[in-house]
Amino acid sequence: MTPLDHHVAEEFRAGRISRRMFLHHAARIGLLAAAPARAATLGRPGATIRVASQVPAGAIEPLTVSEIGGLVMLCQTAEFLIMDGPDLILRPCLALSWQPNADCSVWTFTLRPGVKFHDGKLFGAADVVATMDRLCDPKQGSNALSVMRGVLSPGGAKRIDDLTVRFDLDAPNGNFPFYVSSDNYNAVILPAGYDGDFEKTFIGTGPFKIEKYTPKVGASFVRNPGYWGRLALPERTEFSFYNDQQPQILALEDDQVDMIVQMSVQGAQGLLRDPDVQIIDFPAATHRQLHLRCDDGPMADKRVRQAIALTLNRPGMVHGLFQGRARLGNDSPFAPIYPSTDTTVPQRAKNIAQARALMQAAGKADGFETNLTTERIQEIPDLAVLVQNACAEIGIKINLRIEDGATYYGDAQFGRSDWLDSPMGITDYGHRGVPNVTLAAPYLSNGAWNAAHFRNSEYDRLMAGYIAAVDLTTQRDLAGKIERLLLDETPVIIPYFYDYIAATGPTVKGAMFSAMSQVFLQDASLG
Amino acid sequence: MIGSRTLHAVARRGALSALTLGLLSIVVFAGGQLLPGDVARSILGPLADARAVAALNHQLGTDAPPLKMYLHWVGHLLQGDMGMSYAYRSPVAPFILHALEKSLLLAAVTSVIVIPLSIGAGIVAAMNRGKWQDRLITLGGLSLTVVPEFVSGILLILVFGVWLRWLPISANTRPGTGLPEQLRHLILPALPLVLILFGYIARIARAGMVEALEADYTRTATLKGLRRSKVIFRHVLRNALLPTITVIAAQTSYLLGGLVVVETLFRYQGIGSLILTAARGKDYPMMEAGILCVGAAYILSAILADMLIALLDPRSQAAHR
Repeated sequence: MTPLDHHVAEEFRAGRISRRMFLHHAARIGLLAAAPARAATLGRPGATIRVASQVPAGAIEPLTVSEIGGLVMLCQTAEFLIMDGPDLILRPCLALSWQPNADCSVWTFTLRPGVKFHDGKLFGAADVVATMDRLCDPKQGSNALSVMRGVLSPGGAKRIDDLTVRFDLDAPNGNFPFYVSSDNYNAVILPAGYDGDFEKTFIGTGPFKIEKYTPKVGASFVRNPGYWGRLALPERTEFSFYNDQQPQILALEDDQVDMIVQMSVQGAQGLLRDPDVQIIDFPAATHRQLHLRCDDGPMADKRVRQAIALTLNRPGMVHGLFQGRARLGNDSPFAPIYPSTDTTVPQRAKNIAQARALMQAAGKADGFETNLTTERIQEIPDLAVLVQNACAEIGIKINLRIEDGATYYGDAQFGRSDWLDSPMGITDYGHRGVPNVTLAAPYLSNGAWNAAHFRNSEYDRLMAGYIAAVDLTTQRDLAGKIERLLLDETPVIIPYFYDYIAATGPTVKGAMFSAMSQVFLQDASLG
Repeated sequence: MIGSRTLHAVARRGALSALTLGLLSIVVFAGGQLLPGDVARSILGPLADARAVAALNHQLGTDAPPLKMYLHWVGHLLQGDMGMSYAYRSPVAPFILHALEKSLLLAAVTSVIVIPLSIGAGIVAAMNRGKWQDRLITLGGLSLTVVPEFVSGILLILVFGVWLRWLPISANTRPGTGLPEQLRHLILPALPLVLILFGYIARIARAGMVEALEADYTRTATLKGLRRSKVIFRHVLRNALLPTITVIAAQTSYLLGGLVVVETLFRYQGIGSLILTAARGKDYPMMEAGILCVGAAYILSAILADMLIALLDPRSQAAHR
């Protein structure tokens, strides 16, 4: 055992971390080669599982897929080195184990032997290296580049032998295994000679093989008899693509499908109350960021930003917008589900008297007028109205500009994007197994997504320390400092983190969902 | 018979139509360029790295000057090649043809239901002017016309699909399904469209009938002692239907390209939703080809309507001379 392993074990023995936290951290640093197995009791084999899913917006290409419909397809036949479950505990998949060096700048992965791709070729280190090089290459049009930037560069993954890969990172990173896990939905392992024709073959090592894929219509998969692990229970799976949530709900109620991969509360209120439907609901880190421009205008004064944050009725939002299927946010990306979140940081709550006092201290007792720009997606327009009404209580008049996504994001560069240039805006951020990505680009002084124009050298320093932190004590200590700093500065308001929700028919068992909107059906059964 | 002059007029109309489609292609292409966002960012997502966006735009050729892109696209189109989809990285033509076929089938089912129904109702209303039948048809039709498809569609699904289970709620059928079963799947999707079009067509048919019933030639035919049914079918209907035919032809673009709500609700891969998703995803080759196809179908239906009117109304043939 390394000193780091000893440290984690000692923390658990001393009762300073819970069993779940122990599993999370131990799996992250590769201490646990095999975390608790999934699906202890298996259902009947041989079923055909019918799934309603969003229509993929384009070609199923692992390098470029960026939306739910596409990423759901990827994980039916292709696999990741590591699986990140809803509990944020990493589990071995194509990698059997992983170990960091002392400062977490080098990670060594041992791969699973005897794994074959669907075309019969043996899986090995060369496939992992080629996959990672593609994901990190700026010339490839890789969607994962925004995640991998500053973490791993082309050539950083090196083949040591057929079953060993070493990752030489751009900078120390204590959470690196998450970057090559199912948390990074583009990181499915493809053969070294892959030439961009995934949609024709759906090549992978997974428990299912492609039977038929029809763009915009659906896909079907059959059990892979040569799978390295326990054979899939379903004989077939059938995916039907839908453009909208409402027809998916009607299809589930009419027994035309057995499950809906992902739903939002908005428009599904009836289904959520239906006793004949199983609702899958677990906490996630999916959230909205309300950015407040820190470098210009009345919100350049942090007291004004704090005052705005104090007007919000967060429990009311959780109940009103999500029927309670969300968790309170405390204006930092450290969601309650993250084990490293410092829960001793006081929760911000509505306090109009304090907000008015702050406005007066900032010389804005009479309020001011500003614009709030955002995108028309799910509950965000409703959230914008709630913010508008809340701010009116302290004299801030907000004019709403609700745009379609393309207009809001524009070219996603400063000076050419309503998102990055607006004084106040609401942006949607997806789930991540660790907060690294959402702590970096939206907050760092040079962050590409820093819509708040927040510049704070202390934050940059703490953030670099958190990313590199290996041991639990340092991670928790730095998380607490970051949370307190962001609460004080309030460049961004995060009012809630909402749950991942899926639905299945009453007889469905064993389907595994992830907060990334993936569904894994190898243990699924009916009845 | 259609005279040579009429054929000449149709040929001239065809040339004008080609010019119209050419202009439409410029307008659509220019409109696509004005849409916010860029192609690669649309594929990779708003938070994608700028270098990845630039690389993908280069791979797709969408970093070329707009004029060059337009000429490239038109050049291929004139050779019968609709181009490659940016989003799907495969030829556009199969997507368009598949969607067009589906839309034509749904439009045909809708037409088969709504045209005789609404014309018949228009005739009944005109023959019973001012009576309860007239009020029921005109007011009822008008009320149904203003009910949006997503309201009537969901209600119809709940009643006939989920509760009574008489009809399938999805318009899709498995490959190899026979035509009768395919048509059964299209009844529910067609009904919201029938409800929308019924009132409009019935009112036009009624107005045409009322005008024809009051015309001198009708009075003359009646005074000649012809049977009522003969007067209606030989003299009144022939004249009364002319405006109705024009109105029905004008609905072609709606029935082909404007059914996004119905296609979404009933999970139907028609050309309307194909164009919409292409526009949202900046998939210009797909969007442009789809709009041109709908435009061509609209022009074709207008020409066919003119030919039909010429057949029914000799005066319109004389006007061409």
